Amino acid sequence: MTATGGEDRAIRRAVRRRSRLPTILGVAGLVIVGALVVTAVFAPWLAPYDPTERIARPFLFPSAEHPLGTNDVGHDLLSEIIFGSRVSLMVGLVAATVALLIGTTVGVIAGYYPKRLGSTLMRGVDVILILPFLPLLIVLAAYLGRSLLNTILVIGLLIWAEPARIIRSQVLSLRSREYVLAARSMGAPDRWTILRHIVPRTALLATGSFVRAVSGAILLEAALSFLGLGDPIQKSWGSTLYWAQTRGAFLTPAWKWWVLPPGLLIMLASLGFALIAFSLEERINPRL
Amino acid sequence: MQRMKRFKWGVLLVVLALAVAACGDDAAEEPVATTAAETPATTAAPEPADDEPEPEPAEEEEEPASETTTTTAPPPPPPEPVTVRAAITGDEGTLNPYTYISGFPGWNILMLQYDSLMQLDAAGVPQPWLASSVSVSDDLTEWSVTLVEGVTFHDGEPLTSDDVAFSVEFYTTNPEASRFARDFRGVADVVVHDDYSVTFVLESANPGFDVVALADAPIIPRHIWESVDIPSEHDFGGTNIGSGPYILTEIAPDQSYRFAANPNYFRGAPAVDELVLIIFADDAGAQAAIRTGEVDVIFERIPPEQIDLLDAQDPLDVILGPEFATQMINYDASIRPFDDVAVRQAINLAMDRQDIVDTVYLGAATVGSPGWIHPGHSVYNPGIAVDVYDPAAANALLDGAGYADSDGDGVREYDGQPMSFEIITNASDSLRLRIAELTVEMLAAIGIKTEVLPVDTAVWENAVWPGFDVNNGRNYQIAMWGWSPPVQADPLRLPWLVHSSLDRGFLNLTGYGNAEMDELSEALAVEPDPAERKAILGRMQEIIAEDLPFVLLLYPDGAYVYDSSVYADWEFIAGQGIVSKLSLLPPSARP
Repeated sequence: MTATGGEDRAIRRAVRRRSRLPTILGVAGLVIVGALVVTAVFAPWLAPYDPTERIARPFLFPSAEHPLGTNDVGHDLLSEIIFGSRVSLMVGLVAATVALLIGTTVGVIAGYYPKRLGSTLMRGVDVILILPFLPLLIVLAAYLGRSLLNTILVIGLLIWAEPARIIRSQVLSLRSREYVLAARSMGAPDRWTILRHIVPRTALLATGSFVRAVSGAILLEAALSFLGLGDPIQKSWGSTLYWAQTRGAFLTPAWKWWVLPPGLLIMLASLGFALIAFSLEERINPRL
Repeated sequence: MQRMKRFKWGVLLVVLALAVAACGDDAAEEPVATTAAETPATTAAPEPADDEPEPEPAEEEEEPASETTTTTAPPPPPPEPVTVRAAITGDEGTLNPYTYISGFPGWNILMLQYDSLMQLDAAGVPQPWLASSVSVSDDLTEWSVTLVEGVTFHDGEPLTSDDVAFSVEFYTTNPEASRFARDFRGVADVVVHDDYSVTFVLESANPGFDVVALADAPIIPRHIWESVDIPSEHDFGGTNIGSGPYILTEIAPDQSYRFAANPNYFRGAPAVDELVLIIFADDAGAQAAIRTGEVDVIFERIPPEQIDLLDAQDPLDVILGPEFATQMINYDASIRPFDDVAVRQAINLAMDRQDIVDTVYLGAATVGSPGWIHPGHSVYNPGIAVDVYDPAAANALLDGAGYADSDGDGVREYDGQPMSFEIITNASDSLRLRIAELTVEMLAAIGIKTEVLPVDTAVWENAVWPGFDVNNGRNYQIAMWGWSPPVQADPLRLPWLVHSSLDRGFLNLTGYGNAEMDELSEALAVEPDPAERKAILGRMQEIIAEDLPFVLLLYPDGAYVYDSSVYADWEFIAGQGIVSKLSLLPPSARP
């Protein structure tokens, strides 16, 4: 008996430890994201200079006045990176919202009407998923031209398929629940059923997808800007890297203050959102 | 979900790879990630400028040929043969007149194997080369050439006036298009008097025939080419026989070319005994290679930010010189408010050219003359003031012309609208993009609000020069623009830019017109006396500086890096750079 009791305790402890890990990671993610959001919101107060003003000689090494030196036309790099957090986070959040709106709509409709309409929609989702991702992104971005809005649209239009599939599978199971069947058998119109009973119950899953999508969208924005397919005039982390690359910073000592900081921030932002998503996933769907 | 995750990791990896790659030292190996990403940046727009549709060298992903032989600094004994390894950044085909690929440096490398009748000297002025003398009739329609005697092709056959006549005939009659067909477009007849004298009879006066044709087209041997039907399908071999100082001995496609010196060259044996061209994927790879001593010279311009860094490294040296490419502001002078010369003059006065040169080019450019012609050019009019920056005068000019800021928002108005415009530019040219950003700042200081619109090269060209035909009009307000060197190197092309009639002014992208300018343009085309032509060009520069059909900002300087311990006698030809046979011949053999 005692032995089994010990085993029980051990299992319980292990379970507790397992369930604590996602919380810790989630908090870490929240701290990272929180810090970045604060930076973005308070950028005008945090940044020592106006990032669009030429305040010093180009290609300056770091100094007390300019902790990260200056870029190729004499903008202060630290200020540029601080202000860059605004564009990077904003693109991430807005693009993920776009993706989620499309994804939820498609997912709910496809899940609620699984026969002809649903399977047609899901074939569309399959097509999106099958298309080679990065080439398609580059082609679309090049075709639509360079602007912040286009970057957001392109990213949003390409990453909605994952949330759509997740939400559809949830809706498929929801629509056969008894209370849904009951509502329908009492003559509730589809629209009412969907809005009253289905959509609210996908919200938690959608939140998880959203956070994950933000993480992806931030990376995609950086990738596009770095390749010169974003708006190179907009100060974002990706465009800072783009200029570093075109003006040869990768070949000179300048990589330490011009390439590394925005690179690390992109990683950090993406990581922060990914950690939150991971933690949410554990809560919403603990079987994983 | 799997895909998304994998993709995210992929992107993370790229970011990491970039960081790690950059972590090596300055001389680190070319980071692979950089190579891939470099492509969009360096496939710089071919300036749509030139009338030559040579494609830019394709950006290749291939790794540079691994050059393991370590021929480091040559030891003291001088008879040691000199081998120079040069980096280029694109394959150049089989390098005969029909198969070379890029205008630069492809044509320049081609001309190491062949000769033209004239050759540009260091100042960019054509001098007799295969010709011992060149004379022209007073009406500029008959160009008589006497050839140097005793010149032979690489296979020992003599080069005679028969080969000259054959070359012209082949270029102009072979159905396959050649750049050199255009050189001889206006040639009515080539009269062979004897083995060493020949006369080109032109359909109409052409004072620039020496520059555009005689110093441009390679002379090819009749005994080889008369059996060639489809030149571009002809493999490497016989067709590479010319009379030039180098013989192409080996091609490894997408990797390297090997040239041996022609010991029997008629101007004397070249100073460099062997020339190896190594193809790199991009500039960054070539620069890394010259830092580590894998190559001895780069046959491409190096970007301004690399000049000091490379020059500081021993034994590397950087040679700078004038090139006639341009960076300028175009506006549609046929629409309001740019049809008002006061607005154009104000924009000209508002531009701090020195600031742009110092900031964007780090000094490696020449401040633009408002009169278009480079101050280093032989026909430059020294009366044109170059440093005209005066925002106060610009503001006064706009105030005087009635463009007031009536609503106090810092932006002037014209015809009841704010002076707020888009500056369209091609995003692939990062330096031009930076110039556009500075232009926005400088125009804001005189109450003109502008916004940069970076677009793809095709979109930009289509706005400024729809269909490459000025008859299609214009579709922009303000644009950043630039012409490639030939447009300016040959000043006789100036009328193309400013003549109001569109068949003469077929590069007149700004819709500009001026009666006196038209007269001068027409006089220039038939003026036989070079001094008189220079006077006409001087007056045209004055009108341009006054009338501003466009605002010229700067001329980027050419900068080339070489290893001075291997070979240091590089000759910079104004407007062409160092890639020429002059650089490789002993100084005594240069014109």
